[in-house]
Amino acid sequence: MATEKVVSLSAEAKAVAARVGSLRDFLAYLGEHDQCVSWPDPVMPEPDIRNISVAAGNNVSTGPAVIFDKIRGYPGKRIAVNVHGSFGNLALLLGLPKITPVRELFFEIIRRWGSDKPLLERVAPEKAPVNENRVDKNINLYDLLPLYRINANDGGFYIGKACVVSRDPLEPDNFGKQNVGIYRIQVMGPDTFTLLSIPAHDMGRQMLMAEQHGKPLKVSVMIGNHPAMPMFAATPVGYDESEFAYASQMMGAPLRLTTAVNGTDILADTEMVIEGELQLNQREVEGPFGEFPGSYSGVRKVPLFRVTGVSHRNNPIFENIYIGKGWTEHDTLIGLNTSAPIYSQLKKDFPEVAAVNALYQHGLTGIISVRNRFSGFAKSVAMRALGTPHGTMYLKNLILVDENVDPFDLNQVMWALSTRTRANDIIVIPNMPMVPIDPAAEVPGKGHRLIIDATSFMAPDNLGADPHLVDRPMGPEIDALMQRLNELQKGRA
Amino acid sequence: MKVICSRCESPGVTQMHAGMEDGKVLWRVWHCKDCAYTWRDSEPAESIDPKLRPAWAQMKGVDFDSLRQVIPPARKPT
Repeated sequence: MATEKVVSLSAEAKAVAARVGSLRDFLAYLGEHDQCVSWPDPVMPEPDIRNISVAAGNNVSTGPAVIFDKIRGYPGKRIAVNVHGSFGNLALLLGLPKITPVRELFFEIIRRWGSDKPLLERVAPEKAPVNENRVDKNINLYDLLPLYRINANDGGFYIGKACVVSRDPLEPDNFGKQNVGIYRIQVMGPDTFTLLSIPAHDMGRQMLMAEQHGKPLKVSVMIGNHPAMPMFAATPVGYDESEFAYASQMMGAPLRLTTAVNGTDILADTEMVIEGELQLNQREVEGPFGEFPGSYSGVRKVPLFRVTGVSHRNNPIFENIYIGKGWTEHDTLIGLNTSAPIYSQLKKDFPEVAAVNALYQHGLTGIISVRNRFSGFAKSVAMRALGTPHGTMYLKNLILVDENVDPFDLNQVMWALSTRTRANDIIVIPNMPMVPIDPAAEVPGKGHRLIIDATSFMAPDNLGADPHLVDRPMGPEIDALMQRLNELQKGRA
Repeated sequence: MKVICSRCESPGVTQMHAGMEDGKVLWRVWHCKDCAYTWRDSEPAESIDPKLRPAWAQMKGVDFDSLRQVIPPARKPT
């Protein structure tokens, strides 16, 4: 639900928000801070782009975005990678110095969190830059995009960082139920692609609905977006909450929306939009794909989409991501926005929670710092975290530390593990729901939860330790009184 | 030489695109209609040579209809 809360920003943050309206703007801004480089040499699509992307992402603090504009065999085409690949780049987007500690970035996101009052500007389709070019016939995605293999054993060429817009097939006019999410897309034929989602995700829910009711499901695949969009498209907001609204409030500046030919709302300044329609009940062989847990997902049958049209800016930039064995851009892109909702959901019930670090592999490991209100309290907080929407599928290993331990400082976390953990403060819960691509799961979709309570020992409440029993009146006198009451009730006294 | 799929070794492959440099073809992208593998003929051998690709990644002889469905279809496709 839209709230009236409006995010207040510093002057620096306002200046960035006013200036950055698109991917191009952000790349220019990053460049001014030495956080974006153009690769000077010609590159082969494989393995050069993969290798340079990994190298850029290895510097988690200040690795740069990289633009390729000399791709052999793709003259004139451009690729950008690692745009969200370092905390330095995220700090600049938030109007902070690029060396801002991760803990401070977390609290800045928290400060901006929780408002989805939309700041949206409508742009007429004929004035939207994304519509500078339109392809309706002879569509060939292999020609339109400089596609490449992200990991050596991927099943094909993936679009890994597109924001996909879709309307609820049963309520196509409901703006709030319009979903924006990042899903892996494997290009198949020249004008077909698969899109992988699971029933637990909004897109999976919409695909199930469309096929169950025989309704069309139209999607717009936005490639090369305003930098706030991929951060929020990957954030688990409520089903009827708009990611566009969240992203605009998060930036504190309007996002420019226009209407795609297929009726969905899209960013007016996005680099390219591929419009597609679900081919009801049709499936194609998809995968494997080097996924965020650092292993290849299996080969499966996945829903197929047919491209109905492509719109793109002049000289479009194909923004993509390196994903695989961490640390990768995927971890930086979604880490803070995975941590923030868990924190805010816990904080509502347990104000003792100080911070949540769920940066690791989409929250497969999370660290919560909390003040024990009473003995064992941290374990109750852990249980509540497992019941949050994201926790239900992802929070596999949870470490609880004291409120004065910084969960973003792993040396401090290790100190807590070394000096505060007792063997009987560890809980293992078997047979829990688990994101199907967890490679450690005994069967896909089911796994364990591990809770390590590394908070300081707190003595249990001892009020019950020395009981003085109450003498309860009993015996013939009480029996006689009960008899008397019984007779009074029957009116025989 | 007849092009076969790098993954399932099927002959049912189609050229999707050719990359040009100085007026000459630098590479071609192929797609297999059977196992849906896509590859560029300029890629390192570990990705495209059936003899050098890891055994676990090969799909020769696999029954594609038996693959797991992530979202089961509601009806048979028409």
